[in-house]
Amino acid sequence: MISATALSSVRKSAAVVGVAGALALAGCSGAADAEPENSDAAAGASGEYENGTYTADGAYQTPETVEQISVTLTLDAGIVTEVSVTGDPQARETEQYQGEFIDGIAEEVVGVAIDDLDVSRVAGSSLTSSGFNSAVEDIKSQAAK
Amino acid sequence: MALWRFDAIGTIWEIESERPLDEKMRARVHTVIDDFDRIWSRFRADSVVTRLARSGGAGETSDAAAMLNAYRDVSTATHGAVNPLVGESISALGYDADYSFIAATPRPAPVDWTSILSWSAQRIELASPALIDVGALGKGRLVDLVLAALTDLGGDMTVDAGGDIAVRGADVRIGLEHPFDASKAIGTATIRDQALCASAINRRVWGEGLHHVLDARTGLPVRTWAATWAIAPTAMLADAAATALFFDGGVDLAHRWGVKWVRMSTDGRAERSENCPVELFTTRAARE
Repeated sequence: MISATALSSVRKSAAVVGVAGALALAGCSGAADAEPENSDAAAGASGEYENGTYTADGAYQTPETVEQISVTLTLDAGIVTEVSVTGDPQARETEQYQGEFIDGIAEEVVGVAIDDLDVSRVAGSSLTSSGFNSAVEDIKSQAAK
Repeated sequence: MALWRFDAIGTIWEIESERPLDEKMRARVHTVIDDFDRIWSRFRADSVVTRLARSGGAGETSDAAAMLNAYRDVSTATHGAVNPLVGESISALGYDADYSFIAATPRPAPVDWTSILSWSAQRIELASPALIDVGALGKGRLVDLVLAALTDLGGDMTVDAGGDIAVRGADVRIGLEHPFDASKAIGTATIRDQALCASAINRRVWGEGLHHVLDARTGLPVRTWAATWAIAPTAMLADAAATALFFDGGVDLAHRWGVKWVRMSTDGRAERSENCPVELFTTRAARE
């Protein structure tokens, strides 16, 4: 149960990383656009942005493929209440990654809360992807009244 | 243990030591960092690399050989995916000195970088203007230099520059931060007289270089691996290996260097080197 939850969070986040790359490159494809899908977009308006659900599509060229992604944000009273990302980075740069010097097969990660661990330091990113933030900015400007 | 925390080159530093650093030692640390930054930072208008990006030519540097020799190894091992002339590629994607974050057309780095950039122990020279970026290993090198500047203090010591960590003496247990959820770890590592560096694709720009990892051959961000961690005798080697592990050839290089490592793919799988002193939290581990 715990692992299922963690993995779903991993997948969702993995797609977000794809978006970071994609939206940083949106200028190349010019494919991003957004429109409210939600009929109450006009009804519940308050604050700086129109309420509603917005989608921005993007495409970007990778060394092997053209990746398609789509970001959907739901805004309610100026607050993002839901984010979803579809499309994901998938092709490995090579299928030969399970080469020598690697210990066994890749294992699915289960995150454990750092607060529950007896560690004195943490090594990793800690910081939000600016690419994703800029995507959110893009959607904010599209949703601005 | 005494803890000194400060901000420098856009990241938070922590130095943990048995005895506190006195004012002279603290000033020395700031001098080491500032000297490095004034040469290598592509975010400073007055740095050597900024000047050479405009005009080419030669510049006096500290430490060019240690870093650029390692770069040559990493570049060869990754078939050109890692390249110190990647600065323009990173800027093209908006990670420029103005933090514009405005993306232009991706730009590959010059393939024949070793014929453009030459170096000796205290000097670098560019045959034509190019933007040098030592982000693949620069911060690790700086962590090593800071630790080396404090040898007279003695005792156990840890230098941590925002997750690039060098340890002298004592066992230090380190959480490997989940690249998509900073409140979680995917495992733990315990190191002693070693360094551990992490690299993640969602890591923000820092002052000196950056860890938005691009493939220099295409100028595009990598997608296969979300985060890498490497354990090596020095932070420079750990940092360089962590970068190399995003690309084909990184595993072989790590093996040649004797570096232990873990990496996690963007679809949530982790793998590690043989005999890696890391506990991983995985579905397999959970079953056992």
